[in-house]
Amino acid sequence: MSPDRPATGRTEPAARTDRRTGGGDHPWRSTRLWPDGRGLPTVALLAPTWGPASEEGWMTRQVAGALATVADVHVVTPQGLGADDRIDSVFAVHELGTPLTRTAELRRDLLIEAVTASGATGGGRVPAAVGPLLDRGVVDPWAGASDVLDRLRPDLVVVAGHQHVGAIDAVDRADPDVPVALLALGTDLDSLDFPHFDRVFDRAGSVLAVTETERSAVAAAHPRPERAHRIGAPMAANDSALSEPNPWVGSTDYAIILTDAHSEAEEEVVELARLIRLSFPEQPIGISYRDVFVVWHEGRWSAGWPVERSSDLGRLMAWSRMTVDLRPGPLFARRCVDSLLFGTPIIVPAGSRAQEHAQRGRGGLWYSSPGELMWCIEALFDPDTRGALGNQGRAYAEEEYGSTDRFIERVVGAVGLAGAPAGDRAAG
Amino acid sequence: MARAKDQKDRRPNGPAIDPTEFLEQLKEGHQVLQWEPLPPPPPNRTIGVEQDRNRASLEYLHHHWQLPHTYAPEDTGGGAKGKAVGLFGRLTFRVLGRYLREERDLLSHMVQVNEALERRCDQLTLLIQQLHTEVLNRQVAEARNQAVLAVWLHSRLPADAAGAPGTTSTPDGPADGAVSPGDAARTR
Repeated sequence: MSPDRPATGRTEPAARTDRRTGGGDHPWRSTRLWPDGRGLPTVALLAPTWGPASEEGWMTRQVAGALATVADVHVVTPQGLGADDRIDSVFAVHELGTPLTRTAELRRDLLIEAVTASGATGGGRVPAAVGPLLDRGVVDPWAGASDVLDRLRPDLVVVAGHQHVGAIDAVDRADPDVPVALLALGTDLDSLDFPHFDRVFDRAGSVLAVTETERSAVAAAHPRPERAHRIGAPMAANDSALSEPNPWVGSTDYAIILTDAHSEAEEEVVELARLIRLSFPEQPIGISYRDVFVVWHEGRWSAGWPVERSSDLGRLMAWSRMTVDLRPGPLFARRCVDSLLFGTPIIVPAGSRAQEHAQRGRGGLWYSSPGELMWCIEALFDPDTRGALGNQGRAYAEEEYGSTDRFIERVVGAVGLAGAPAGDRAAG
Repeated sequence: MARAKDQKDRRPNGPAIDPTEFLEQLKEGHQVLQWEPLPPPPPNRTIGVEQDRNRASLEYLHHHWQLPHTYAPEDTGGGAKGKAVGLFGRLTFRVLGRYLREERDLLSHMVQVNEALERRCDQLTLLIQQLHTEVLNRQVAEARNQAVLAVWLHSRLPADAAGAPGTTSTPDGPADGAVSPGDAARTR
């Protein structure tokens, strides 16, 4: 193992050493070099999808961007209409054209939920009949990844998503000795310690978790807890949002409610939003539904266009007295971090991933019943309370999420590529 | 403008808040429901005074609308001066008599219109009072409805289900005199 070899704990095959000489044996090979003239390491990132549509997708892209500062990053994904190689920014994307169907993923998630609820995982094993059902439709789409990995011969493989047993199988078929890092993407804590996915964790030399809650869950459920690293996320408050308030609510003395649901949907979050506006008629309240943005003040309901641009939402949160996120993001509650970066305290459901920001970051409050939600909102209309929580939350968010450089250091350090030459900063 | 929000909300010297402790205090403070529906406002009685004053003015109009429309010779007195005044009076009423009768009719109709208006105002006042009563009744119903909501909210608290500390309700009502959710619902 060379002195600069990433400390992934595996013996480096001789052939791999040759690859890093920048030989250009395939068109994706980078021309960036280590200080001693060797080529950059090649990292293959196996992700079920490639796109920022969800928090998981956004996070996967950020990790890829961080790795791209010290390595050539190749994204291997089952998505696409057919097998295709293309360039996306600094990434080489290899689409297999065998996408995972939503039905198969939903069936897997439902099975996990059912088996966990039944207590059948108490002995650390799942019933034998459940295994094939869990794998149905979510393993086969990864079959083509082996060929791509054979072609790439990566120095490191990063698997995005701890449920992707098929990705690990593909890696082992291509090269059973290649180091693997796992971006856990543990939106469901029950799934993190589900025995069926143990071999994904066992195969990983390091496990990347976004939040402390996720990291603790991984460390508690799997051996070698030191492998679990919290990497946070690279975020920054948009200063321009603080230069001028968003006039949609018509005042700067308002609360913003985020429902992530349609206004006519028969969902609990819609009922809670209704309860909030009825309970605080004297306070201007902006309610963001998927289909409409509503301003409620003195019993008047004014509907407008839905909030579609993140810059609009940022300005709304920046000038709000509080952000009530009734359905925060499942991975790390990105909107709540945004709100805290603006110094706006948050109110979030207890047990959600956002509770960590409110509790550990001391940037807000959390509720477990409609009554507590009303009390929390009432408490944050007090300027002293919201001022203190806003300041604490901003300090936490800036420390944990507010620096791209620190994020890159954490990711690169966690996967063992620290010391590699940094190229152009290439966050996705 | 750029940092106007900061100036409003940032209080760097303020005491730090531990959200966990703060929430505990918040929950403790709300364990006993200090709530009851808003009482309806007292009815406004100033309408009656206005009514009395308008009635007195209308009575005056009824008694004073009839102006003189003919010449009375006995009012002029005797002598040359009386004859001259009588001659002037007859001449004046002969010339202006039609106008004066028209004006008398006009005043008569104005008084009748005022009388009708007064009756209409009385009707409207009555309607307003009825409406006011209906609004009050509605307010009471709304308050009762809110009490039902409060009970529902209270029943959703997990702390209550486990018998939260600080709730001192007895089968006959709260021992510390506070309003219980059930009492709140029956207040109005």
